[in-house]
Amino acid sequence: MSPTLTANYRLIDIDALDADAQFPPELLNPPCPPVGISEIQGLAGQCRQLLQRGDQEGALKVALENVPYGGDEAGKDLHLQTILEILSSIRSSEMANTLSRLSSLPNGTELLDVLTKYIYKGMKDASSGAGSGGKMSVLLSWHEKVVDIAGEGSIVRCMTDRRTV
Amino acid sequence: MTTPEINLLFHQPISDHAFNADRSLLAVTRENNVELFTRSGKGFTLKDELKGHDKTVTSVDISPVTGRIVTCSQDRNALVWEPTSDGAWKPTLVLLRLNRAATFVRWSPDASKFAVGSGARAIAICYFEEENDWWVSKHIKKPLRSTVLSVAWHPNSVLLAAGSTDAHARVFSSFIKGVDNKPAPTAWGERIPFNTVCGEFINNSGGWVHAVDFSPSGDTLAFAAHDSSVTLVYPSAPEQPPRAVITVTTPMLPFVTLAWLNENELVAGGHDCQPVVFQGDVSGWKMAYSVDDPSKKGEVGEGERSALNMFKQMDLKGKDAAADDSTLRTVHQNTIVTIRPYEGQPGNITKFSSTGVDGRIVIFPKIPRRA
Repeated sequence: MSPTLTANYRLIDIDALDADAQFPPELLNPPCPPVGISEIQGLAGQCRQLLQRGDQEGALKVALENVPYGGDEAGKDLHLQTILEILSSIRSSEMANTLSRLSSLPNGTELLDVLTKYIYKGMKDASSGAGSGGKMSVLLSWHEKVVDIAGEGSIVRCMTDRRTV
Repeated sequence: MTTPEINLLFHQPISDHAFNADRSLLAVTRENNVELFTRSGKGFTLKDELKGHDKTVTSVDISPVTGRIVTCSQDRNALVWEPTSDGAWKPTLVLLRLNRAATFVRWSPDASKFAVGSGARAIAICYFEEENDWWVSKHIKKPLRSTVLSVAWHPNSVLLAAGSTDAHARVFSSFIKGVDNKPAPTAWGERIPFNTVCGEFINNSGGWVHAVDFSPSGDTLAFAAHDSSVTLVYPSAPEQPPRAVITVTTPMLPFVTLAWLNENELVAGGHDCQPVVFQGDVSGWKMAYSVDDPSKKGEVGEGERSALNMFKQMDLKGKDAAADDSTLRTVHQNTIVTIRPYEGQPGNITKFSSTGVDGRIVIFPKIPRRA
């Protein structure tokens, strides 16, 4: 048999031959301004100060409002660590109250959507490595509380959104 | 009447439905065919079957002006069905010249054209050429980058909105010389040759655009995307950025269909199996209420339960079926795929009809259902 007959023709990407079929990623996702690592470090410092003053909610708000969409992988990971630190510093009895106060802000839905993204990213990190059980259980209880308030819509948005954290 | 009229037509998904002008005839898609039902009392009786496609029929529309039915299918063709004197329907094949499935079809309000969305990154605008006695199609291609999931006509029958899986909702001109009269200028555009892009919109999270619709006046565009949001676009003037683009994000699952009730209200339905009304104006929109709120209901879908069924369940499982979670507390038991206006004038719709994956057709009054 000739190779063309054995080839699985269903797997041939015919769009690759069509000049009009280009689908550049920036079409869906207007490029975000690049964020330097120093900026993210500054933000982490600011959040840590707020945490030391006992203002966990303020720290969470600052961290969720300044998302480094345009940062590189290292910067994004650093911001994830900042957010995870804040999340684990909030007691479980305070989670629901903190979230409902955040969601009542004018940009509340946006903030909770961002939080959902970080919870999933955190889960990805926590799913491997030693001592991940504790982290995972914190994230799971946050996840439950966020979905209670922001609904399944926030999960769907986390999946559709091309602005990754 | 404040209760919805619920009819289970068959146990198969319905991808689209359409009523004729006086609501006496209902066309629904069923696999490769379209079934025609007539009203009989509270129910619907199967009257005729339109067999002509050889793959799944994706969309159907009946023109309120001419009574002609147009269908499109995954077999890449569209058929126009005309009633004959002996009560049968005569199909005419329309060559769409598409190389992928046709996904969505709608007649223009004046019935002179219809638009077919497709997976071939194109919209086919079809019109009748008298001299050849033949439906001709012309393609809108640029700048579509992906499958077109829905189209909607502006009341002037020239502007066309399209929602696509490339996350954009667009407004095009479908002006065809010799078929259309020159339309009055609108906020969308003044001089508009065929395929002019009069607007291109995306929302923040950029999900697939499932549904688009123009408001009754045509001055506002609404679109529902896969990020569980509904976005409203108020244009200002041709070639200018719009006056307002308002995105309402919701805690629900994504909406896949929407219909305007009046200039300040629209209803959307989707994966949450319940129609939801949105209200607002240029200064802001919000999700107002669910027409079929499951949390406000004690009993599981009436008509689904009978005494016999209850005892059967108790016998089989040792408990009442109501304690079972297999029945949703909403009227629709699966995703709502199509919502269309049913009663009232454009700009003041009082009832709307919905069909979905559960094979039901439901006629809802726009007021919320009480517990």
